[in-house]
Formats: sequence, structure tokens, C-alpha cells
Amino acid sequence: MITQMRVKGLIFDPYNNAYIVVLRDEDNADMLPIWVGKSEASAIGLAIENVTAPRPMTHDLMKSFLDVFDAKVISVVITDLNDNTYYAKIHLTYEDSEYTVDSRPSDAIALALRTNAPIFASESVIKKQSSDELEQWLENLKPEDFGKLDS
Amino acid sequence: MTPVNPEPSAALVEVKVKQVLEDSNTDTKIVVLKNEDGSETLPIWVGASEGQAIRLAMDHAVSPRPMSHDLIRSFADHLEVTIQHVVLTDVKSSTYYATIHLASKGVDRTLDARPSDAIALALRATRPIYVTRDVLSRRTAANLDAWVAKLETKNIET
Repeated sequence: MITQMRVKGLIFDPYNNAYIVVLRDEDNADMLPIWVGKSEASAIGLAIENVTAPRPMTHDLMKSFLDVFDAKVISVVITDLNDNTYYAKIHLTYEDSEYTVDSRPSDAIALALRTNAPIFASESVIKKQSSDELEQWLENLKPEDFGKLDS
Repeated sequence: MTPVNPEPSAALVEVKVKQVLEDSNTDTKIVVLKNEDGSETLPIWVGASEGQAIRLAMDHAVSPRPMSHDLIRSFADHLEVTIQHVVLTDVKSSTYYATIHLASKGVDRTLDARPSDAIALALRATRPIYVTRDVLSRRTAANLDAWVAKLETKNIET
């Protein structure tokens, strides 16, 4: 079973000096927080805000690579979680064949947002990553931490 | 399909990444490219994470999960696309331009890219990096000034 997720936001985590990509399902019943590095967050943030950089960023290059060969991203799936490492698969069609490519969730999400491909998460991942961790983290968050998004 | 290197040409110079230096003033990194006999040097300023990707690729570091340029290489493998080589083609107001040359089933394609992506991808795919003579010759004029300006800032601060 997989559930379609949307990127709801990007939060700075000052304790881990990292960013959290927050995915939520359609009816807001399930949430999946994914910790990513600064450059990965920026690749996702630019796509959320629909910002086009003057020169192609890495995921724009990825998209133009696929475009030039008429390969299409059908969907991306966050498939597994092991020792706090998430796994994702990118599903492609190219010349009537389907391909599945292993990737980090941050790359998969950054690419999905640029190609308007749906993002899914497997049920086991959502179960494993109960949102307890994020809620706990949000409780500890001080108001001044929110200003740091711009930095 | 065997990758095809461009015909030896007076217009292109093959370079290798010699080192990635820290530029502590600006949170950027400097990728130092040199030709085979070391007579030509081209420094390129890239972002911190771009520099890190190039450094990892230089060290042939295998990360537990595929990094972004590994993913592009993996797309190439799946689609049976050959990454042939990359070329640093132009420099305009301190912005460098690069192209990535690909081949699939006898058809050549060229992608526009930032030099940092082109270099990281070439290193990951162990393919050659070329610089046009034109870029090398213009470096001396435009970019040495920037280089010197940065060094001067550094001296003042220390």
C-alpha cells in the first residue's frame, strides 16, 4: 500500500542544523518528516517557491537530462526507513519501458516537484515514522527559531 | 557503445581537477583545474555544497546512499545513455557555462549545465573535462582581478 503525499513545508531544525521536509497525505491524517541537508533543502525550497535560478541547478539538470531523451518521471515513492536513513525509488518511462531508479528521498522529491510527478510513501514507512518524533521536536521549539528560515 | 572523445582540437584543452580549496571569506570553494603539463591553471569559484560534491567525487568516496550526481549517472545507465565528456564553454561576468555531451543510440545530445555539475558528473562517470582555449585566455584578464581582490580582502582581515 502506498499513500500519496504532498510537500507541506520546509522547517529549519536548529538542534541538528538541518532541515525537515514535511510530507502530509491528502486528508492530513498522516505526516512524514524527512531530515535533509542544507543544499538538499534549498533544491526543494526553490521548487516549492517556483523559483527559476539563472543557471540550471542540479535537479534542473536532472530534469533536462530526462527531457532531452523524452524520459518521463511517473512517480516517486519513499519506500523504506532503516537506521534513520530513508530510501526512495524514482519510476521512469522511456521508450515504452519502465525503469525504477534508487535514490535519496531528497533527490526524488526535488525532481518530482520539478516534473509535477506525484510523491507517494509506503505504508510501512509512515507507520515506522510515527509523527511522535516531530511533535516532540515542535514542542521544544522556541518562537525565535522560526526566524531562522531565511538564514 | 564506446564513448567517443572529441577529435584532438586546438580549441579544447583537457584539464583535471587538482584540488578543491576553501575560500573562508565567502563560504565558497575554489576548484583548481590544470592541464596535463601544468602550464595552464583555471580556478573556478563554486558553492560550498557543489565543492563538496566535487571533492567527494575526486576521492572516489562511496556514500551509503547515491548522491545527486550518482543519480544522474544511474539515469544514464538505465536509459543506456553514454556520458561522453564535459566542456567549460564560456565565461560571462564571472559566471561560467558548461555543456555535458551525451550519446544514445548514435545520437549526440548536449545539455547546458553549471561547471560544478558538469565537473562532478565527469568525475563520477570518469569521463574527460575540457576547457575551451577561449575561456582559458579570458581567465587571465577578467578573473585574476577577482582572485586578487579576494586575496587582498583576506590580507586585510588577518
